[in-house]
Amino acid sequence: MTCVGADPPAAPSIVIVGLGNRDRGDDGVGPAVADRLAGTLPPHVRVIRMNGDALALIDTWADTEAAIVVDAAVSGAKPGHVLRIDAVADELPTHLALSSTHSFGLVDAIALARVLDRLPPALVIYAIEAATFDAGTPITDAVSRAVPMVVERIKGDLRALWQIQTEGVTHA
Amino acid sequence: MTARTIKVDLLARVEGEGALDLHVRNGKVTRAHLRIFEPPRLFEAMLRGRGFTEAPDITARICGICPVAYQMSSVHAMEDACGVRIDGPIRLLRRLLYCGEWIESHTLHVAMLHAPDFLGYPDAIQMARDHGDLVRRALALKKIGNGIMRLLGGREIHPVNVRVGGFYRVPRKAELLTLLEDLKQGRDNAVTLLRWVATFDFPDLEQDYEFVSLRHGSEYPLNEGRIISSRDVDIAAADFDTEFEERHVAHSTALHAVLKRRGAYLVGPMARLALNFDCLSPDLRGLAREVGLDLVCRNPFRSIMVRALEVVWACEEAMRLIEAYDMPDRPFEPMTPRPGVGFGCTEAPRGMLWHRYEIDAEGSIVDARIVPPTSQNQPSIEGDLRATAEKSLHLPDDGLRHLCEQTIRNYDPCISCSCHFLNLTVHRA
Repeated sequence: MTCVGADPPAAPSIVIVGLGNRDRGDDGVGPAVADRLAGTLPPHVRVIRMNGDALALIDTWADTEAAIVVDAAVSGAKPGHVLRIDAVADELPTHLALSSTHSFGLVDAIALARVLDRLPPALVIYAIEAATFDAGTPITDAVSRAVPMVVERIKGDLRALWQIQTEGVTHA
Repeated sequence: MTARTIKVDLLARVEGEGALDLHVRNGKVTRAHLRIFEPPRLFEAMLRGRGFTEAPDITARICGICPVAYQMSSVHAMEDACGVRIDGPIRLLRRLLYCGEWIESHTLHVAMLHAPDFLGYPDAIQMARDHGDLVRRALALKKIGNGIMRLLGGREIHPVNVRVGGFYRVPRKAELLTLLEDLKQGRDNAVTLLRWVATFDFPDLEQDYEFVSLRHGSEYPLNEGRIISSRDVDIAAADFDTEFEERHVAHSTALHAVLKRRGAYLVGPMARLALNFDCLSPDLRGLAREVGLDLVCRNPFRSIMVRALEVVWACEEAMRLIEAYDMPDRPFEPMTPRPGVGFGCTEAPRGMLWHRYEIDAEGSIVDARIVPPTSQNQPSIEGDLRATAEKSLHLPDDGLRHLCEQTIRNYDPCISCSCHFLNLTVHRA
């Protein structure tokens, strides 16, 4: 493994979560973004792919300085539309349904964490508008096209907000 | 005569989708149907032609909440078909993995999905504003369940480390010991959770269930035992079809399982406890007595207490298993297929889960049958709904709707497994 340009030990602990089920069409967009980021960031930035249980997010971002979560969404916007939300400063838009076939989705996990005072100091959500959640189907073209753009925006966040170098870092 | 209709578009806090039709005429409930409209999953058909070693990974996909149950019933069935019995550390690890699933699944349902019903909150988030400490304890407990699943299963959702004959990789004892401290804390949190839910006001309903569960004899039932009932059933898993049958009903995509001789029966925590109380440790029996669970519990609303008691049990059992563990020389027993039929029956968090497979000489699956707990409980759920609604027709529609939803949540129903679940329509005439 080579790791070039890692920040000093005091660097903030950050977690990036791609949330979703790869077997359910555009629900796989969160993990697809995480795939692109994995191995390209300094070690103190963890990249995780999660399927299903959004409640586990509360533990995932415990003891981190910041979390960035990428999830598929249904809001009525055009497929592939990207919405960036500062979930600490703002309530999530009520028209936004972040996808979950389970009882607790991302919106619930954030609301519960807020009540229990378990939100990380910074929490950014990238909600990517989905076209289909059909079982066994691939991510649609419109949603696929959003993936590299969200990857770049996340890298931009890391550079701008936490001065994290996002170029020239590779892991085997 | 007036007619009233109540409609709920989607029942919250259950796993899967479906609807309830309640018809009331002249003060009597004339129909209480769960209409299941989750599309049929067709897993049984999908399994045909696949290799016998693929069953645990394919069936684990039936449910994101109880994948271990599917893996356990399928590996036991395949080993039965191959004529091999697995014992020792592999059996122990299977029980430990199952404890993780029980802790995770039961805690989620008790604290996050069901408790708000009893305290008058619309959901766990609102409840957490007033009961934050309990919700934090529940999240900590759930994390322990996840931790066991991750260590033994490879990941929390749809574990990938289970195989016919054992595991792909078994942990070192030192790895398991890292779970002990959390489990001790978890046991305390589970006791607190049990004492808390024991203070709830429970609607008054006593049902004359025929309880059905596994019985091992010396262990609280989990991954093996005979199928027994509170009346006269006492059979091996292989003889399931002599006492039970599955029937198609028009209003559900899930089959209804019934006792051939008597109809509806009940599987799950209340049945397990009623038929296996003597298998609890003296401490746990004392705890059960303290909260009033020493007498047979026939009030389905009190099932939340039984689940909480089973979380305490699962924490204690997990600690006992970890202390008893010695790493085996190899992680699995090799298995040679032979033509034949195998049966597996284990206790999923929601109740008994029965699998039957026929395989050929090459190990290809010729036929598969899966009877999940929610299919078995569906006639009892409808019976409870009928009884609850009939006693509560004086309530306004909103109150009646809530009570019916709560009645269904008593079962922690897994609609995705059984292909079912819930809109509510009440027709009053």
